Amino acid sequence: MENNQQESFLQMNLDYDGGNILRETVRWSRFLSIVGIIVLSLCLLLFILAGKYLIPAVSRMVPGIESMENVAGALIMVVILVFVAIFGFLVYMLYRFSVLTRKGIEHQDQAVFAEGMKCLKLYFLVSGILAVLSLLSNLLSLTKLF
Amino acid sequence: MENQQIPTESSSLDNFFNISFDEATRGQVRKAAQWARICALCTFIGYGVSLIVTIFGKQTALPESEEGIHVSSAYRAGTIFGSLLVVAIGVWVYYFLYRFATSATKGMDAMDSMTTNEGFDSLRRFFKIVSILLIIGLSLVALVVLFNLFR
Repeated sequence: MENNQQESFLQMNLDYDGGNILRETVRWSRFLSIVGIIVLSLCLLLFILAGKYLIPAVSRMVPGIESMENVAGALIMVVILVFVAIFGFLVYMLYRFSVLTRKGIEHQDQAVFAEGMKCLKLYFLVSGILAVLSLLSNLLSLTKLF
Repeated sequence: MENQQIPTESSSLDNFFNISFDEATRGQVRKAAQWARICALCTFIGYGVSLIVTIFGKQTALPESEEGIHVSSAYRAGTIFGSLLVVAIGVWVYYFLYRFATSATKGMDAMDSMTTNEGFDSLRRFFKIVSILLIIGLSLVALVVLFNLFR
């Protein structure tokens, strides 16, 4: 009994306002993730359709790549797949966060709610790593300036 | 008195009390907030760096003519104005993410529901603004594509 009281004292309950705010958050994040999935699919479709025009376009940016025709195609394919995999994971985590958190609140399921929060953590983890990498590339452009 | 019906379904107000931020969930939210803070700070610094690059970056070779100099300076002013606008919107959006990170961490540490709610409200605003900006951006892209198709 005392143990249970101590446990409930160490927990913080989700109140009515918090529940409403989280529901709204989840609604917007679900919208964002669905739009992300659509945009990512369109990008992938565009890359597949524009495959033969891609190598000349890239060779204009990276001179010398057209000489290694087979390697260039494979290299571009790998870059695109990595790009799609990273952003696909990001969008999927956001979608899972929205679905699981909503389900957790509606069905009063603590485990599902916690799983939703784990997905939010993973989403921000990948976003944070991408932000650090993007900052490093930005700093690189600053060193070229001076 | 005996016929009085006892409500079988609990109200939505009561329902929320069954979900709690236990130690594990608090840890997940804390980690999420920590990475969100890193994300926001990197974005702020990135915007600063890109502004410096835009303002103090190498100027394009100006043609000798008077008109060439005039066009180039107008183009440069436009680029700087555009960058300032993008940075201002970006900082405004990511400020909400930073607020989420700060409030959620504070709320989880102090076990304060109100501060935690403020944090999640900032996250809600962040997602809402990003969604609206995404809709605007995609609409503009669609317009440009349609304009090029029927030109």
